[in-house]
Amino acid sequence: MTTTDCASCADERAAGVAFCEACGNKLTEDEPGPADTADTRSAPAPTAPASSADPKSCPHCGTADSVGADGYCENCGMLAARPRDHIEVDLAEVAAAVTDRGQRHHRNEDAMWLVGHPGYVDAVVSDGVSSSFDPDLASQVAADIAGAALGGDGSRKLTFLSPEQLAEMLAERLSGAIVQAGAAVAELAAGGDPRRAVSNPACTIVAATVRGQFVDVGWVGDSRAYWLPAEGPAEQLTEDDSWATHAIALGADPETAMRDPKAHAITAWLGADAGPVRPRTAGFTVTAPGHLVLCSDGLWNYLTDPARFAGTVRDALDGKSLLDAARQLAKFANAAGGADNITVVLIPVAPAHPEHTEYKE
Amino acid sequence: MSYTAEAFQNEFLALGATEVNAIVTVTSSGAEGGRRTSGATEIIIVDASGSMQAEGRIAAARQAAKTAVESIDDGVHFAIIAGVSTAQQLFPAPGQLAVSSPDSRAEAVRSIDRLQASGGTAIGAWLLLAAQLFSQRPGDIAHAILLTDGENGERPGYLESVLDSIGGRFVCDSRGVGTNWKVSELRKIAEAMLGTVDIVAKPAGLAAAFQEMMTKAMGKTSGDVQLKVWTPVNSTVRFVKQVEPEVMDLTGKRVADGARAGRYPIGSWGSESRDYHVCIDVTSGAAGDEMLAARVSVVEGDDVLAQTLVRAVWTEDTALSTRINRQVAHYTGQAELADVIQAGIEARKAGDDRTATIKFGRAAQLAHETGNKQTEELLATVVDIEDAATGTVRLRRKVEAADEMALDTRSTKTVRVGRSNQ
Repeated sequence: MTTTDCASCADERAAGVAFCEACGNKLTEDEPGPADTADTRSAPAPTAPASSADPKSCPHCGTADSVGADGYCENCGMLAARPRDHIEVDLAEVAAAVTDRGQRHHRNEDAMWLVGHPGYVDAVVSDGVSSSFDPDLASQVAADIAGAALGGDGSRKLTFLSPEQLAEMLAERLSGAIVQAGAAVAELAAGGDPRRAVSNPACTIVAATVRGQFVDVGWVGDSRAYWLPAEGPAEQLTEDDSWATHAIALGADPETAMRDPKAHAITAWLGADAGPVRPRTAGFTVTAPGHLVLCSDGLWNYLTDPARFAGTVRDALDGKSLLDAARQLAKFANAAGGADNITVVLIPVAPAHPEHTEYKE
Repeated sequence: MSYTAEAFQNEFLALGATEVNAIVTVTSSGAEGGRRTSGATEIIIVDASGSMQAEGRIAAARQAAKTAVESIDDGVHFAIIAGVSTAQQLFPAPGQLAVSSPDSRAEAVRSIDRLQASGGTAIGAWLLLAAQLFSQRPGDIAHAILLTDGENGERPGYLESVLDSIGGRFVCDSRGVGTNWKVSELRKIAEAMLGTVDIVAKPAGLAAAFQEMMTKAMGKTSGDVQLKVWTPVNSTVRFVKQVEPEVMDLTGKRVADGARAGRYPIGSWGSESRDYHVCIDVTSGAAGDEMLAARVSVVEGDDVLAQTLVRAVWTEDTALSTRINRQVAHYTGQAELADVIQAGIEARKAGDDRTATIKFGRAAQLAHETGNKQTEELLATVVDIEDAATGTVRLRRKVEAADEMALDTRSTKTVRVGRSNQ
């Protein structure tokens, strides 16, 4: 996700308007056909370090044993790979996540956090604003700080809460975690490279907690959370802080609004220039099995229709492990053009056992 | 002695772009406690040609040389050369270097009283003798001060051939007293010997000028430092320039170091910071590609003292690729400032007032834009600046020779871009 200044509207950075995507064009028209219309550039292999060749030989010029300690080829100078280009988290049956650089960006500016055990999962996806300075650091800091804050402080006494009390507490915790992440991201502007002070590191965030059958999400920006039921379209749990969403809320025609070049401009983010961070939260109680999906716009940009989103994720999940499904979704976005960094988290959630109406936190 | 190197650039390039620019700031903390990592040799060259009798220059030069001698640290090797039609060693005995101590300095001061003005100007010969004396102490921080008041009297081309043969063997700061010397001549020496050049219009200012040069020289704690620039295959270094504290093109001083690297001499260092503009031509990459365009290291012999990376990242996002890097823009402007001032002075001398007005106008604009107040003030002694922002200037009918020479010599002085608001 990218922001920039626009000649046609003088005040958009202040008004929170920012563009999306590398091309800055109507992304709704970029929706891919079937996955077999793959880009000629190969999508990353599903397993971590893609190349089976000697890791020290250059993938660009082919020179053997030429990649130096700083990751650049000693012959052609090309960067061989960055550790963040492709990262996977595998929690077996509990959850899985994949983040991938995509095809068009030089580095992965998405970051994620995923921890958990059955019935207890914390997840965060953060997407760095490309036009800010060091956005990859912003997203990493946001994901790490918020993720750590979601787990509570550990010293808390275990208390039995009613569903209402739990929902309230989790909403507060999600908000608190995002505000804390926002403060940490804002602080980045004052340290390190002085260019950060001019174009401060910025990012979006979506965070989720799963406690038994209770799903709660909090967000700032346009990284999304979906609930994917066993059948029917996916339900978007988050509402983008974006120009299009704002315009539609004010009565604009949704299709026209989504086709506007400003459609994906975000109106809220984390960063020193973000102003007060006011995360929004949502929560619900799962009554039938399904999947909680968190993702950055690198995936959902290719699946703006909730029915297609549901179909594509279900196809990916079909008969495969969660990790393979997450890999499959990253591969899908890469095949569709990989215009942005791609991050997806899959968390299956089932309704409570009839005996468990209270939850311990 | 610890060094840091930091690159400032907009690494994002539009697809198809092949020029990579970066400003590399090299900062040295100086040696611990100001101790030198090697020995030091200082040679003072004083013009003693006949013209030095005018305006009490020789008396002022004697006083300045004494001031300089008294500033030499104990233990530093030194010598004084009297510049006439040949080079004559004034102190110590011919072919020798003295070791600085209260006694040797007192003796040197007494010898300076014997300095008499008579004869011609043979700068090439003076520098050659200095080089011979320095060669006794390889590895020392080698620094010379050269004072002259006139044009070189040697056959044309001789000074250049001497500079070719001794360039880089020591650092030489040159000062011209009065207005009968040639800026272009001393600038050649400064460029070849990695030194500075300046005008001392009035002889009374000589002692202060010598004192300043000596203080700086004695602050140098390490000698032959180099900038090593590695570039990938199919890439070339378009230029390497020092851009702060003054503009100095180092491109032609490259000495190959292996197939893909070159070393550029950056002289001796104390506790200080300098900026270099590195420009690399690379082959274009695809969207999302990242290339290491140059690895810039500060080296002394085989020791890598600091290192920074100059990168190129190709993007389709014009918001990224059109970002202007303040440092690069600032120093590009400052380098152009030096060029247009020198072109303006040339044009004025040639009687081409129209070109001179255009060049000085652009200079006024650049000095104003880049906040180079000193240069703006110097310009105002040569032209009336009506509007610096638009570069509207009028040539002054009467210009003091000293003012024009000051503008010329100091045109390469730059100011550092404000780091706080980049």
